[in-house]
Amino acid sequence: MYVEKGVKKLAPIVEMKGIYKEFPNVVALNHVDFSLEKGEIHALIGENGAGKSTLMKILYGIYDQDEGTVKINGEEKNISDAREAMRLGIGMVHQEFMLAETMTVLENIILGFEPNKHKLLDYDKAYSEVMDYSEKYGFEIRPNSKVINISVGEAQRVEILKALYRGAEVLILDEPTAVLTPQETEELFKIIRSLKENGKTIIFISHKLDEVLEIADRITVMRKGNKVETLSQNDATKEKLAYLMVGREVFLDFEIEENEPGDRILEVKNLNVFGRRKLSNLKDVSFEIKEGEILGVAGIDGNGQTELVEALTGLRKVESGEIKIRGEEITNKSPLEIRHHGVSHIPEDRNKTGLCKELTIQENLIANKLPDDPYSSKIGIINFKRVKNFAEELIDKFDIRPPKTDVKMQNLSGGNAQKVIVAREVAEDAGLIIASQPTRGIDIGSIEFIRSVLLDERKAGKAVLLVSADLEEILSLSDRIIVMYEGEIQGTLDIEEANENNLGLMMTGGNPDFKGGVTA
Amino acid sequence: MNDKLRDFLYERQSLLNVFIAVFTAMIVGTLVIYFMGYDILESYEALYQGAFKGRFNFGGTLERFVPLLLSGLAFAVASKASIFNIGVEGQLYFGAITAAFFGYIIKGVPSLVHIPVTLLLAAAAGGLWAVIPGFLRAKYNVNEVTTTIMLNYVAIFFVGYIVNHPFKNPNVGVPQTPNVQPTARLPKIMLPSRANIGIFIALALLVFFIWLLNKTTFGYKVRAVGFNPFFTDYVGVKSKLIMVLTMFLSGAIGGVLGGVEVLGIHGYVLDNFSPGYGFDGIMVGLLARNNLKALPFVAFFLAALRSGAINMERFTGVPKEVIGVIEAVIILLAAAEVIVEIKKRKSSDKGGVEVG
Ligand SMILES: Nc1ncnc2c1ncn2[C@@H]1O[C@H](COP(=O)(O)OP(=O)(O)OP(=O)(O)O)[C@@H](O)[C@H]1O
Ligand SMILES: [Mg+2]
Repeated sequence: MYVEKGVKKLAPIVEMKGIYKEFPNVVALNHVDFSLEKGEIHALIGENGAGKSTLMKILYGIYDQDEGTVKINGEEKNISDAREAMRLGIGMVHQEFMLAETMTVLENIILGFEPNKHKLLDYDKAYSEVMDYSEKYGFEIRPNSKVINISVGEAQRVEILKALYRGAEVLILDEPTAVLTPQETEELFKIIRSLKENGKTIIFISHKLDEVLEIADRITVMRKGNKVETLSQNDATKEKLAYLMVGREVFLDFEIEENEPGDRILEVKNLNVFGRRKLSNLKDVSFEIKEGEILGVAGIDGNGQTELVEALTGLRKVESGEIKIRGEEITNKSPLEIRHHGVSHIPEDRNKTGLCKELTIQENLIANKLPDDPYSSKIGIINFKRVKNFAEELIDKFDIRPPKTDVKMQNLSGGNAQKVIVAREVAEDAGLIIASQPTRGIDIGSIEFIRSVLLDERKAGKAVLLVSADLEEILSLSDRIIVMYEGEIQGTLDIEEANENNLGLMMTGGNPDFKGGVTA
Repeated sequence: MNDKLRDFLYERQSLLNVFIAVFTAMIVGTLVIYFMGYDILESYEALYQGAFKGRFNFGGTLERFVPLLLSGLAFAVASKASIFNIGVEGQLYFGAITAAFFGYIIKGVPSLVHIPVTLLLAAAAGGLWAVIPGFLRAKYNVNEVTTTIMLNYVAIFFVGYIVNHPFKNPNVGVPQTPNVQPTARLPKIMLPSRANIGIFIALALLVFFIWLLNKTTFGYKVRAVGFNPFFTDYVGVKSKLIMVLTMFLSGAIGGVLGGVEVLGIHGYVLDNFSPGYGFDGIMVGLLARNNLKALPFVAFFLAALRSGAINMERFTGVPKEVIGVIEAVIILLAAAEVIVEIKKRKSSDKGGVEVG
């Protein structure tokens, strides 16, 4: 239980002292102390690359610290691997999920810890055990559906259940809400609260300060490998946290200048596309974007936004309809031809599509230039000096850390990896920028930066198609908003008439008065 | 730590793994020799002398080095694009028969013209043969392991037909092609052994491919396609084309290997002439972990073993198949290491170790 001051204190359930961890290029953790009381919800915040995931991976036995000690319930432990961590009652849900897609939810949960009867897998027992857990904590899951068919929110609940099933008392959630819609986040919070009521202890990592203030009992702030402060929720405000994290004040309310839209850049007419699931088939989608305009695409994940972006960028076949850039047909052209028409693309899945983690930062930064080779001689010999200069410029401008051109991408923190992608796509002087979840998993300082980059592009007369699950982002940047529901455009709103309520309603298929405005 | 130092240590680490594999295998070999009742020191001395002592012996090692290096290179180049080219054997047969044909049919040109033209044509033949599985993989996602293995048989039997019928040397009883012109023969460098300038051709190719993969946009694309084809598609690289081209290059190296064997060693193609050079490349590539810079060391080591084994058998009676045992152990260890590597990479992809 969370022990009030004055009462004789139990040893903290987790106590990390003087943790030091160095990677080849950076000191990821510089003598960090972290202590966790039983039964609390403890938020861990900090800029990208501050060392949050690394600290937690040390606790979970994935990395070994170079210096420092870890005590569990007052006893010093050497946590050599994740299995050992599990045995000590520590569970972790990673930034990226680790489920086997072709297996069912139930199979994923019990994998490696299967109950058996006479050496045979006892499915009935497993099923009832899992259902017990899900009732106790208020999970909504369908144990027999294949993981590939479930939503992100559900996948996350499965990950949490998996950890609980393995006996987790302390549950580490590394940026669990980065991939969730507001509704799903609410559900997650209900679960977290009921876990707390049942005596579990939660570590919650997030970049979203509102969430942190809503759910956490205590908050630890990290900056550049150091622990800055641990404060209780009562002492924290959004401004204070942002200041502690970044070391300066942060402004997310942008002054958006009036901007008279120019010529039409993108025109989409009656687009029909087969999607991953039936609900995400695009049906007769039509819209347009003009120069100097940001068009927001709102919607719950999986309602055709992904397919729309893929069709526009040549990564998915269009069944019928037209896509034109400045009047020229680009329907079903190759990604390269579409890029040649002045379209750049920040993809939603950064790890699978947006970058190549085995290659270096500089190699990733020039990747979209390869087909035209401005950094190499006529016969294709790379001029490394020019590549390096170009990369250093972008690293500097986008504050990518570590600021080294030849570090492999796999060693970057999530937010820094995203910055590499944004830098690459914005550096291309394209007329249309298709930005899919551009600030997902990014710290507040970088969000500020990336949003201001997009607004600068708008000012420079570029068009931006902004797909985001974050309504606040859509509302603060867009000139107009289209809402997608089940593969169709549910409606179009001007920024003046849009708010969280009517957007939220339309995103769930509701039909406010504005229905019908398919083109603007 | 600075980056150069780190890369160096990393390479050292992979070299170290090679040594561990080799060392373990040698111990196993030693035990085998011991339990068969031979004198260990004597056997190893004979092995060493057979590999290095005298022009004939050392030349024998160099002669074996060339096909090992080239087939290892062919395998490693394809694997940079994540293609598993098991078809080097078939590609070398096509290179060999092409070299035999043009080495014979072109007449009255100097060596300086005859040799390069013939080898280029051999390369083209091997490359085009490899394009078939490359295309099937790129376009229809047909597994290249299966297709290359099957196409090996097609190539071997096709060449078998050629040397038995249309292009058989009428003056000898066995199925073999006529001798190539003297102008097409690769000059020997270490008489009385059969070692020839093929070794320089092989080393030049190695250097060329190291350069191509690391310093050119094409090489960059090959590596990127090998790592993540979704990424290359997205940035606008034609991943499928790159796969096919890489397969062409890999096959072309196989073709050169066939050509060098014909022009350098035999002077003609004999039915079934290759003792599995193409398959040796898989072992060389695996052991070098497809690190091109490690290939020559691995190839040289294996060449010395094989060359020395003959001498060992002659003087001490230890059957040269002992070397086969050593090679088998090396392959097992190298393969095991690759598997561990892949597993590690998979789990770090996901940000951690899977429990279960
Ligand atoms: N395996 C690794 N090898 C080398 N460097 C690493 C490795 N993992 C992390 N780093 C570096 O350590 C630092 C801390 O990374 P970490 O992933 O802990 O950050 P984070 O606080 O979780 O950031 P984010 O919010 O972006 O997820 C970063 O500079 C990162 O580049
Ligand atoms: Mg992290």
